[in-house]
Amino acid sequence: MRYERQLLIPQIGQQGQERLEAGKVTVIGAGGLGSPVLTYLVSAGVGKIQIVDCDIVSESNLNRQFLHNTVDVGKLKVFSAKEKLSMLNPNVVLSTVNRRLNAENIEKCIAGSDVVVDCVDNIDTRIMVARACIKLNIPLVEGGVRGLYGYVIDIGRDYPCLSCLGYDKAKQVTPVPVLGVTAGVIGCMQANECIKLLLGIGEPLYGRMLNYDGLSGTWEEVQVKKAENCPVHGNINTVTRGKNNG
Amino acid sequence: MIEVRLFATFREGRDKVSFLDQKDFKNAGEILSYLRIPREEVAILLINGRYSAIDTPLNEGDILALFPPVGGG
Repeated sequence: MRYERQLLIPQIGQQGQERLEAGKVTVIGAGGLGSPVLTYLVSAGVGKIQIVDCDIVSESNLNRQFLHNTVDVGKLKVFSAKEKLSMLNPNVVLSTVNRRLNAENIEKCIAGSDVVVDCVDNIDTRIMVARACIKLNIPLVEGGVRGLYGYVIDIGRDYPCLSCLGYDKAKQVTPVPVLGVTAGVIGCMQANECIKLLLGIGEPLYGRMLNYDGLSGTWEEVQVKKAENCPVHGNINTVTRGKNNG
Repeated sequence: MIEVRLFATFREGRDKVSFLDQKDFKNAGEILSYLRIPREEVAILLINGRYSAIDTPLNEGDILALFPPVGGG
């Protein structure tokens, strides 16, 4: 039985499994973070997963983006990812969006999701995704990596976002150095947060930036606060809350 | 004292956590200069968990946290 081991977890059980199978998650980015996030959400049996990415697989992706193999170089990432994931668990309904997200299409893309997981590689898209999630009141799991370091934080309408922390003013570094393992560690944590949010269990990382240091092998939590004049949280048009967002 | 917490690559060649005498620094910018961290490399500057401008005066007992930008894919 596919889910036998996780059904044994008291916080999941049959009821939790049914909740996972009723869940809809959008994962933005099918790369270094997206590979572990998608793999573990599909393994856990999340009902519907939307994969968003507009890139093609390149050889330089392969040190960290394990959903893509050498033979996939040149293929669209969403198709390469879907191919592997549908073999992993054919019970999950996978949909793909091969389009660059922008201010015009982002809300339509993520509408109806119970959770969005941000696995993108640039600051502008992170801020845009956060703005849309906060406007639509969809929980957002955010993660970032650099070298052997990374962080995870959950973002919501009532909790701080990256703009609250001034990250929207940061200068983008390209290319960002990344060890595949680091993206794996952070992506796994993002998948864990997503599952917690879907199930309504545990303590989500709202207002808590969890920082990973792979060199020293340590995790450190930094409690962060909403900014009063946050450009993302400001002027929110309230919409109906999602079924798991309340 | 001011507690300074550095994250990610800012830790390389520096202490992860240091305690500096508040009287020696007017603001966060002076601490960046002391630590030889270029201002343009700082993505997130928090004082007591809240976003703060680089010229924000520091008070005794404040915690300053500094992060560089990160990537994803």
